[in-house]
Amino acid sequence: METLSERREPGFDKAVALVLRIGAFAGFFVMLAGLIDGAFVAGRIPLEIEKFGVLIMLATPVVRVFVAGVLFFREKDWRYGMISLGLLVILLLGSVFGIGEH
Amino acid sequence: MSAILVVLGFFAGLLGALTGIGGGVLLSPLLVLYFGIPLRQAIGTSLVAVITTSAASSSIHLQRHTTDIRLGMTLELFTSFGAAVTAYLVGYFNRNTLEGLFASFLLYSAVTILARKGKVKVKDQEESAELENDGQTIAPYEPQRYPLGMGASLLAGGLSGLLGIGGGPIKVPVMYLFMNVPLNVATATSNFMIGVTAAASAFVYYRRGDILVHIAATMAVGVFCGSFLGARLAPRIHSKYVVGLLVAVMLYLSGHLFVHLYLGWRP
Repeated sequence: METLSERREPGFDKAVALVLRIGAFAGFFVMLAGLIDGAFVAGRIPLEIEKFGVLIMLATPVVRVFVAGVLFFREKDWRYGMISLGLLVILLLGSVFGIGEH
Repeated sequence: MSAILVVLGFFAGLLGALTGIGGGVLLSPLLVLYFGIPLRQAIGTSLVAVITTSAASSSIHLQRHTTDIRLGMTLELFTSFGAAVTAYLVGYFNRNTLEGLFASFLLYSAVTILARKGKVKVKDQEESAELENDGQTIAPYEPQRYPLGMGASLLAGGLSGLLGIGGGPIKVPVMYLFMNVPLNVATATSNFMIGVTAAASAFVYYRRGDILVHIAATMAVGVFCGSFLGARLAPRIHSKYVVGLLVAVMLYLSGHLFVHLYLGWRP
């Protein structure tokens, strides 16, 4: 088995970091906007904004797996491409089809 | 109440980012004990905090190249699968037995880490040399005992799905103690992984309406700031303090679980 740690490329790390950073910042600012709005306005709109922020946050890891998978396939790293694909399938089973709902 | 939630989130994020365990483990018992929120909603709500810690701190750890993406994603496959399967089979498990096992494992790991730390004094010097370099250099290592790591990840994911306790407290000691991964890589990689593990069950909780959006958003604002600070501070804090913090959190959690098992009430 190859050493995983030897095969770490800086560019790869940077791309994945960017996805997480965009997701985290977007979720943070949308949630903050909802909270600030809620301090001044009553009603459903602030809660809807907060809900949107929470959903951005929940979607961030899924997008991260997708982007990493695309990068692995582009590098022709089939093994880790398939691992990403498998991960995506597990995540989608839980979120879209509600596997595990009880 | 909002201000308290932001402050709690901040400290949970800080601790989670530094130790790699994700702050959710600390938040869900607090939500139940002090805010009167039912367990299931508390778990769902803290999952948002776990994902926030993971995304915010990983983006920094990744830029420092202390995250082993391939190791992380390999193990993630098992944590997510474990979380999905146990969430499905949750009714068939005896939760008391699992909590007891989990508490025992935490106690065992805490003691092992303490014992090991006492022995390897020479390594400390290497680590401090590393730290002066802003954590950029990592001593070469090769992850070992993959089957063990995968099995442990399955277990960590399973517990995450059953108890809503993120797998972090299992992943960090397993990578550090058994897989020969340096502590800073183990914490960074665990931080990277917990987001996906939490997301695997978070959508289910969301669809059921078990995520209290307003509380989740308020906490997440604090968690976000705490996680960024924690990840920025990580290379400047000597690993012996991180180990101390990790051991303290693990002892607290195992004590917490044992007390609940003994008294028969749950977090």
